[in-house]
Amino acid sequence: MTEFLPHAAPRPRCVLHVDMDAFYASVEQRDDPTLAGRPVLVGGRPPRGVVAAASYEARRFGVRSAMPMREALARCPDAVVVRPRMDHYQSVSRDVFAVFRRLTPDVEGLSLDEAFLELTALPELADDPRVTALGIKDAIRAATGLTASVGAGPNKLVAKIASDLEKPDGLVVLFGAAIETTLARLPVRAIGGIGPKTSARLEAAGIFTLGELAAAPAGAVEPIFGRYAARMQGRALGLDDRPVEPRREAVSLSAEETFATDLDDPKALARELRPLAEKVAARLRRKHYVAGMVAVKIRQADFRTVTRQRSLTPASAESVALFEAAWGLVQTWITEHPGAKLRLLGITAGRLTAASQLSLFEAGEQRLDRVSDAIRERFGAGALMHGSDLGPGLEEDG
Amino acid sequence: MKLVAQREALLDPLQAVVGVVERRQTMPILANILISARSDRVSFTATDLEVELVASTNMSVEQEGEITVPGRKLLDIVKALPEGVDVVFQLSGEKVTVRAGRSRFTLSTLPATEFPVVEDVHAQQTVTLPQGALKRLLEKTHFAMAQQDVRYYLNGLLLEIAGPSVRAVATDGHRLALCEAAVEGADASPQQVILPRKGVLELQRLISESGDVTLAIGTNHLRAELGDIRFTSKLIDGRFPDYERVIPAEAAEPVVADREDLRRSLYRTAILSNEKYRGIRLELKAGGLTMQAHNPEQEEAEEEVEVGYAGDEIEIGFNVNYLMDALSALESEQIHLMIRDPNSSCLIKDPETDECKYVVMPMRL
Repeated sequence: MTEFLPHAAPRPRCVLHVDMDAFYASVEQRDDPTLAGRPVLVGGRPPRGVVAAASYEARRFGVRSAMPMREALARCPDAVVVRPRMDHYQSVSRDVFAVFRRLTPDVEGLSLDEAFLELTALPELADDPRVTALGIKDAIRAATGLTASVGAGPNKLVAKIASDLEKPDGLVVLFGAAIETTLARLPVRAIGGIGPKTSARLEAAGIFTLGELAAAPAGAVEPIFGRYAARMQGRALGLDDRPVEPRREAVSLSAEETFATDLDDPKALARELRPLAEKVAARLRRKHYVAGMVAVKIRQADFRTVTRQRSLTPASAESVALFEAAWGLVQTWITEHPGAKLRLLGITAGRLTAASQLSLFEAGEQRLDRVSDAIRERFGAGALMHGSDLGPGLEEDG
Repeated sequence: MKLVAQREALLDPLQAVVGVVERRQTMPILANILISARSDRVSFTATDLEVELVASTNMSVEQEGEITVPGRKLLDIVKALPEGVDVVFQLSGEKVTVRAGRSRFTLSTLPATEFPVVEDVHAQQTVTLPQGALKRLLEKTHFAMAQQDVRYYLNGLLLEIAGPSVRAVATDGHRLALCEAAVEGADASPQQVILPRKGVLELQRLISESGDVTLAIGTNHLRAELGDIRFTSKLIDGRFPDYERVIPAEAAEPVVADREDLRRSLYRTAILSNEKYRGIRLELKAGGLTMQAHNPEQEEAEEEVEVGYAGDEIEIGFNVNYLMDALSALESEQIHLMIRDPNSSCLIKDPETDECKYVVMPMRL
């Protein structure tokens, strides 16, 4: 027992959360100097479009992402609307993540513009998180010309809250006793897992802030959180032991489409859904995944949105299997809601696993998928379409 | 309707049929058992609309009639009564009373006329074979059936009657099991039917080692009379894949292995394979087989097995469960393992006979 000292005190954790400021909109402003300083909305055009990102100039008018573009423009009529360029954002994102990976391999990306970094094992970085965070911000600015907000804390929960406190271009380091006092003032929605519905129930119980949530008697929060009550009260105090998961595999893949006009004709809906299923299935195949679950997102003209899901046995990456499962869900919903007009359909493939087991019977569908993947890879996504999508006239000619 | 019977005389038929009483019924009457009493012969019928079981027994019938009562509740009551006690079962109005000693129970009923019964399977042919042979066919293949597969025709077992033999084939699309048995009466015309998974499992439970069983095969149903029990199952309406196409021809250079040695090595190696994918790597070279597994915790297992092999070196991956299932179903001391390349199926069989064949597709390493 002579060597117990080095192990006696485990090193305290240090986690950073880096969040790019209004990422898509900032990229557009950077690339087009005439947009600098002006309210910019990235997203589809009205009347159908939705805001994917809003510059800080636009946010001052109360515009938020996921807001219908029409409403956003009503609030901020001078805004410039820009179509999203996802491929471009992805390439900028790669530059940002390259900055992270120069420091540590323990990077958990949450989206193109957001990541956790675990620095615990790197004392030279963790001992002064402020200096490390400033270095990251500078490196991102040098690589991309964009600003990021960084939060540092002893876990993912605190780091994420900290990065949000001084946005944009923020830097907040939050450790020790400051955590509790800072969190206590924040609204309950500041922590993940509490959305509008739960926060409304908490407010009805007189709980508005995280301080009030932490101090609430168990009897008051158990009806709201059930068996997670103790965990959520711990979160309100800034307690969180979730690890940073660098190799976390994609949990799901999805695609969705807002229609040019609201649709209620099942044939037209199937026509919209099929390419989405094909797109998701092709992405699964490219990544050598199969999906054990298919979900659809159904948004009505009035923005009411539901999701429906079902399992897929065996797990599959076939376009037809995904489409049929998804279409079955949509059909059931349509039958339950006759005459409903839809503005958007989305499809998600979930419960992904590696497609390593080979099949005894390669169905014709699998061969077809392989050939169409190859054609689309070479000639582009529009090179092939389904016969039934060509319109009624052609369909009848067969 | 009124019957009197000893607890045990009631318990046996109830236990024989209750397995198909659904726990989560879509129709309330499927939670019930149909009891019909006619001149000292009483039958108990349970169904889930896929499999129907009828158990008949001699019993003192004081008043004829038929009625349906909640199956599991009746069984639980009879089971809990003291041994050897006389039970009186009587319909009065819309209730059934069950009396035994100083116990009295009143059960709800639903009319017998609403109970779905398969009267006639319209048999197109009948095949008779020893119960032991049928039991063997099912035991040696059933594990390869798919479960809740969207390819619904795989969620069952193919029974193929061809001339003097019956074949059972099951596959989940990753592996396949095939077994063959000779039958009496070689006049049977070739026919393929798919018995659903639930029917296979129930039938397996009912057949014994001795005596013959006659299978009556209709367009939509298969029926088997097994002593006092009549088994009827719906057939899956679908086309089974062309399984002969995926059974590889016997390779020139088989791996000759001691079945039990190989099975034990696989079993040990499997402990440290990935729990979800169950992948193991086999490295085959002249005279030896090395197997390896590792899991996400970076733990590793390695085993060497002495085998007879004179072919090229091959590295190939498999779901270890599929290999172990096949080796457990075989009975011979030695087995042949025929592997062509890492992307083609592997055939496992007894070198002495072609009665049972197992085909397993590899995994990408």
